[in-house]
Amino acid sequence: MNSEEKTAEKKSGRIHPLSLLADEAYQAFSEMGFEVALGPELESEWYNFDVLNVAKDHPARDMQDTFWIKGSEGDAHNKKVLRTHTTSVTARATEKGAKEGRMPSAFISIGKVFRNEATDATHEMQFFQIDGSMIGTVEDGVSLANMKAVLTKFYKKMLGENTEIEFRPSFFPFTEPSIEVFAKFKGKWLEMMGGGMTNPAVIRNMGLDPNKVQGFCFGGGLDRIAMVKWGVPDVRLFYQGDLRLNQF
Amino acid sequence: MKISYDWLKSYVPEIPDAEKLGDIITYHLAEVETIEKLENGDSVLDIKILPNRAHDLLSHQGMAREVSSLLNIKYNDPTPVYKVPTSSKTELQAEVQTDKCRRYVARIVRGVTVKPSPDWVVKHLESMGQRSINNIVDATNILMFDCGQPSHVYDLDKVKDSKIFIKTSPGGEKISLLGGVEKELEKDMIAIYDVDGHPICTGIKGGVLAELSDNTKNIILQIDNFDPVAVRKMSLKLGIRTEGGKRFENDLSPELSSYGMLELSALIAEMCPEATFEDIVDVYPVKQVERKLSFSAVRVSQILGLDVSVAQIEDILKRYNIAYTENAGSFEIVVPAMRLDLVMEEDMAEEIGRVMGYDKLDTKLPQVNFIPKQNETYAKISWARNKLLADGYSEVMTYSFADSGEVEVMQSASDKKFLRTNISDGLKQSIKLNQANAPLLGTENIKIFEIGTVFAKGAEEIHVCFGDKKNVTEVSLADFCKDMPSDFSLEPTNYNTETKFTMWPLYPFIARDVAVWVPSEVESSEVAEVIKENAGDMVMRGPELFDEFKKEGKTSYAFRIVFQSYERTLTDIEVNEIMDAVTAKLKEKNWQVR
Repeated sequence: MNSEEKTAEKKSGRIHPLSLLADEAYQAFSEMGFEVALGPELESEWYNFDVLNVAKDHPARDMQDTFWIKGSEGDAHNKKVLRTHTTSVTARATEKGAKEGRMPSAFISIGKVFRNEATDATHEMQFFQIDGSMIGTVEDGVSLANMKAVLTKFYKKMLGENTEIEFRPSFFPFTEPSIEVFAKFKGKWLEMMGGGMTNPAVIRNMGLDPNKVQGFCFGGGLDRIAMVKWGVPDVRLFYQGDLRLNQF
Repeated sequence: MKISYDWLKSYVPEIPDAEKLGDIITYHLAEVETIEKLENGDSVLDIKILPNRAHDLLSHQGMAREVSSLLNIKYNDPTPVYKVPTSSKTELQAEVQTDKCRRYVARIVRGVTVKPSPDWVVKHLESMGQRSINNIVDATNILMFDCGQPSHVYDLDKVKDSKIFIKTSPGGEKISLLGGVEKELEKDMIAIYDVDGHPICTGIKGGVLAELSDNTKNIILQIDNFDPVAVRKMSLKLGIRTEGGKRFENDLSPELSSYGMLELSALIAEMCPEATFEDIVDVYPVKQVERKLSFSAVRVSQILGLDVSVAQIEDILKRYNIAYTENAGSFEIVVPAMRLDLVMEEDMAEEIGRVMGYDKLDTKLPQVNFIPKQNETYAKISWARNKLLADGYSEVMTYSFADSGEVEVMQSASDKKFLRTNISDGLKQSIKLNQANAPLLGTENIKIFEIGTVFAKGAEEIHVCFGDKKNVTEVSLADFCKDMPSDFSLEPTNYNTETKFTMWPLYPFIARDVAVWVPSEVESSEVAEVIKENAGDMVMRGPELFDEFKKEGKTSYAFRIVFQSYERTLTDIEVNEIMDAVTAKLKEKNWQVR
């Protein structure tokens, strides 16, 4: 390292790898016509669960899995949780957009989410989730094949041009059909995301008519992409405040 | 769900080998997690059956029907093979007093012999990871893994007056369950009672009251079907998870009950040819209604983004034995009783999509008329981040949880139950940590920041917090961005992300400085080279020049070297030895080590 480089390094700080990755992801989706959406981390039960067609007695709503906020009582709009995904954010954005006459629409949201679980190398109580949604009229015909194209382009940008993706059957209450997204990175198929065609119940919950609009949505961990892409061995490293992490 | 390859093959003889079958299942149905080759020659596929198919696929027959339809190969229906002797009139009476029991089918069998099971039963159970108990108990387990129907068998002679009542518990009753666990039933839990009101068994596990013994001669076969939500609640409350309970929770079709009784009877008839069978008692208050479902080839194609022809759909429906009518691309099907997952048009899109294979989807980017706007909050965050980075601050992320605060979570896997009210506390910790690592980071003055959400009662706000060891400042994002130009627009940034991440050693480091007087014509790089060559392979950072000055025709260079091992804690003694070797080499050059 010569002295010039040394001065340059001293001058500017280093970005957190997840911020870098989030910014790259936003850029990739912006190029494909998505709008960035942000929303609250303390979310109502309605947007975190009900809108997304998660059954009242679904285990995801258990206290063992989700952080419920003490003292928040009443109906689903008043009861609060720490959001467990950022699908709540794209759902809010889609609903608001539709009220303003923005249809078709496409939103992408990256943010911190929370799960009440014991931590280990691949599990954290807080991590970053990337969620996207595109919706249009039936005539716009936003389809599952479109989602495959969008995610193929995204993962090529994030993991390299040689990256391939494939869909495998899955199940989520908020999508039908539901698929699991796998990406082939360095010769191995890795599970990256879940998604599918937005369930008509979700479309109805956002105040829209499922006979008139259709679209897709997807979501997955941003930390996961970082771990795959760079070989970060432990998800907890992202939240230690240790600058040795900032290598990029 | 564990699926025995040999068991499956007995129903679908033409299935491909286990590996290939595993791939087909993964791409068209559900993830195959493992394929294990057993010592008995069988292979076991562990399949993560999806929740919307758990009502019909947690069984070998269910999987066999699915695979036969998927691959369009023959399914050997076992029904005609089942032989049950002609039954005689029965004294058995069953009364269902709760709507949480959707169907109750029972019969008396007399003259059985409780004995070891035949080999095929033992092998099947072994493949499921289950131990053989006796022929009668094994028959109920075989039934469940074979067709998915839970069942119970009691000792008839321990059930007073051959009368059975299915109802919910008033609460507070004690029951000894099989395996010796004592539980107390709570209100609304489903149980089976005798005429005196003693619980014989719960909806998810049998009791000892009418437990089979080696001497049991006369038995009651019971096939039931319980409400999924009631079973789940009961299972959680009692802390009992059973294979049977799991199947009820997934909404088993009550239509399966009569088939279950046929198969269970046949299994017992096979193992106890001397037994006599009485008439079946079948209480089925509300019959499952036959459902119809309409969809069109056009809509399915629109949803998938794939042109699916009428002929392709007809082919799939035929393979799946689904009755249908079709008119100009519009279909109406009669939903098979076991396919509770097929409810709306989108379900058919999924069914057709997964059977055809999602690899058939063309990747075509959507063309929609949507004009994205700049997200102002994200613009502010980016502006703030870039400003701080430019000012020499590095970014960290710390935890949103804290020991105290204004917003508390109900339950947490960790001891920190509050949400942070500020970032400063976490940032100070981070400064401390990084300051201790300063030699590793190659700087004396750690400067860091975090942009994140903090939580006050009833409100959350994004804060910007930055500082060093002397001073930490925290303001709201809005305040931090006061000077942001109003026309600021986000520009794409090019990141160099090709670098591979290097994990750091988890053992402590040792930093050493060495200063050398050299003739003024000697470059610092020459000195660094000598240090490097002799400092060994534990050097984590350096030698880094941190001081330089000239005096009387000589130059003084001061270097810092940081030692650290990936495998162990280094000792002062060994680092001293390395430094002594380095010093010796420097002296050999006739340089003066200070």
